[in-house]
Amino acid sequence: MDITLQIGGEAGQGINTVGDLLAQVFVKAGFHTFTINDAESRIRGGYNYTQIRVSDNPIHAPVDDLDVIVAFSDDAVIKPRNKLANDGVIVFDDNVEFKDIEACHYAAPLQKVAKEIGGHVRMTNAAALGAVLAMLKFPIELAEETLSSIFKKKGEKVISSNVAVARAMYDRTLEEFSGPCSQNLSTIQQGPGIDKMLLTGNRAMALGAMAANLKWISSYPMSPSTALFQDIITYSRDLEIGTIQTEDEIASICMALGASYAGARSMVTTSGGGFSLMVEAVGLGAMAEIPIVIYNAQRAGPSTGLPTRTEQADLLFMAFASQGEFPRIMLAPKDPLEGFDVAVRAFDLADKFQVPVMILGDQHLADSTWSTPPIDVTKVKIDRGSLSSKGSGDYERYKLTNDGVSPRAFPGDPGKVVVSSSNVHFEDGHITEDPDVRNAMVQKFLKKIPNILDALEPPKIYGPEKADVTLLTWGSSWGAANEAVEILHKDGVSINQLHFCDIYPLRTELLTSVFGQVKKIIAVEQNATSQLAKLIRMETGLDVHHHVNKYDGRPMTPGWIIQQLKEGGVL
Amino acid sequence: MITLEQLEGVQKITWCTGCGNFGILAALKKAIIELGVPQHEIAMVSGIGCNSKMPHYINLNAFHTLHGRSIPIATGVHVANTNLSTIVHVGDGDTLGEGLGHLIHTARRNVNIAVFIHNNGVNGLTQGQFSPSAPRGYVSKTSPPPPGAPMDPVNPVGLAITGGATFVARGFSGDQKMLVEIMTKAIRHKGFAVVDILQPCQTWNRKLTWAYFNEKTYSLQEASHDTSDRWKAIERAFENGDKIPIGVFYDVERPDLASGLSLPEKEPLKDHQTDLKKLQDIIDGMLL
Repeated sequence: MDITLQIGGEAGQGINTVGDLLAQVFVKAGFHTFTINDAESRIRGGYNYTQIRVSDNPIHAPVDDLDVIVAFSDDAVIKPRNKLANDGVIVFDDNVEFKDIEACHYAAPLQKVAKEIGGHVRMTNAAALGAVLAMLKFPIELAEETLSSIFKKKGEKVISSNVAVARAMYDRTLEEFSGPCSQNLSTIQQGPGIDKMLLTGNRAMALGAMAANLKWISSYPMSPSTALFQDIITYSRDLEIGTIQTEDEIASICMALGASYAGARSMVTTSGGGFSLMVEAVGLGAMAEIPIVIYNAQRAGPSTGLPTRTEQADLLFMAFASQGEFPRIMLAPKDPLEGFDVAVRAFDLADKFQVPVMILGDQHLADSTWSTPPIDVTKVKIDRGSLSSKGSGDYERYKLTNDGVSPRAFPGDPGKVVVSSSNVHFEDGHITEDPDVRNAMVQKFLKKIPNILDALEPPKIYGPEKADVTLLTWGSSWGAANEAVEILHKDGVSINQLHFCDIYPLRTELLTSVFGQVKKIIAVEQNATSQLAKLIRMETGLDVHHHVNKYDGRPMTPGWIIQQLKEGGVL
Repeated sequence: MITLEQLEGVQKITWCTGCGNFGILAALKKAIIELGVPQHEIAMVSGIGCNSKMPHYINLNAFHTLHGRSIPIATGVHVANTNLSTIVHVGDGDTLGEGLGHLIHTARRNVNIAVFIHNNGVNGLTQGQFSPSAPRGYVSKTSPPPPGAPMDPVNPVGLAITGGATFVARGFSGDQKMLVEIMTKAIRHKGFAVVDILQPCQTWNRKLTWAYFNEKTYSLQEASHDTSDRWKAIERAFENGDKIPIGVFYDVERPDLASGLSLPEKEPLKDHQTDLKKLQDIIDGMLL
């Protein structure tokens, strides 16, 4: 089973709520879901949709064909028509003015049933759910239980009204709709999935940060990063985390650096434009060796670009942001579960090496929802890195050591004076222009890099160990590329995937050996200029053979990648 | 608790002979001794400029940071450990130029830190360009000739009061007794304290000299000013003609930022460990 449902309409019509209900119903029934939200940057109106893909196998990418569409506006009926699968169905509210009826269309009394049976137009969501499930011949009893548990907190009346509306619309659809619909799930049993959560990348990383003992977050709202910041604020009272919305991104990162200098694990969240403002302070963090975690949920740039849409075009910018030369760490999780782990690791790496750690997400990872197994945080252990022992004595914040890392102390530690500076400084933190000290301090930075490389995860090969063709990917593009590899592999193509989560500094061992083996290596990136491929060429002199680039702000699908490979003559 | 010897700076002072910063440093040392808190419980944050080299001339926890950004950095230090007395030393070019937005937002948040603005009307370290507090008509290498700076100066006292700071004063590097008193009060004040400190730049500023300030300044407190009256304080703040008032303009109590954040009750934020069982409960609540 592999079906895709789309709920479309204007912003503010509750399309995400219907999508969320559907995802919950299928996950509770033991299936895997993957949801993308396609929203315009506006509060009301426009054409927005949410797409829920359901499968009995784990899935990590959207696909091109839609099986059932629910539309709350005429745009939402017309625009996705060319993506409708053979024998697919478009259900739309009969209030929507649309006359060119074909066999695939069903003008359903969604609002009418909501009002008549449930007593309120708000229950249109439940009506839509009923209509979709009827189209799929999905046993309504399975959904009724789910609805009951979803609305549990809202009381018996809300539960019974929603269930009644869903059932009424379900029955009515079966009765009234006579067109074709290829899907028939009437014999469905509980699926094989063990998923228990619906997680966006943003939420998973928020949970990871909180598990890693994040104690301070200062940010300025910027799509698509904001949900992570909001999640942490939601739980900050219970978990005693300091949070503030600042006047700008400059203040955000400066506050976070101040809090980290004073000993609290700190983070900022932003998108590319906000990170542009933070760049000066990234250099301060580097020079003063203050741990900081920076999350950039990338969107299409430059400038305002496409505020609610995806891109992976900040990699080189972040790798080289700030004047001067210093070590930094860049991590790009492929999905929410890896995002959770990356968030925990980011704080440990920042403390261990006292460098800026950058998490590169993107709108696709940030806003899309994966069904996942439950997360257990009780076993999370954190590593705060090298700390100065208690007691007095002449403490030197930048004591030269073999590995370049000096034990940290914090203002407030009795018997110690902790001095940090943005200027070149002596071991005691006081400033100097002495050439020998300057050299020693630059070498101190450089000494960290080999140990950072050891601490980073190497890239991974997905698919067969050896193949003629290798797709090179990083971050959230993993999902679509991974499925493309699976499909092509089944068709007999010798293909695999080399994927980077930990991007920079670049681990080159596996990379070099793959380059030595394959016939063709192809960069598949959500940007126009293959930035990871450029970085690899800079660091190793190795060049990919072909590029697949998407920069329209919409996430890749496996089908799109395969088509590009064919058109490019690679296959 | 702290002795003058303990505060003895680590480095040799690089300021010009006769610089107004000497008086501010001397007053700061006296104020800190007066405070009577242990040395490790004070943290100083400075920006970039002649004045911001202060951390190297007095032996305290310190973070010598960026031009214009000291105030948000100090906010971070303060929230991470509210047991610290957090003080900020910045110049007029620094905090009234690049950092002006932060000054106002920190004032409205009433962050419990004390900001000392070394105000000499010039960007000294970059060789005497006109600063945001230079008077209209001030001639420097970067003011358009003639007629000199074609704009009015920033009024730090007026801005701090209207911004929401709860302790606002002006001191003069040449009046040690008053400056020590003001600095001590500013650090002890629970809320955002801003002190505009007049100081001559001996090398660059031919207008705002020792003689000029000695002649023009007068004590607000001797003129029986009501420091709880916001409008009177603003009136005095804009009295910048023949006579320049120095002393405390405004001193009131309001809830500070930290009291409105979800900081741990029992210990500083920096020492707090998130309860993973509570986080697991939150996650379990998300399970379908």
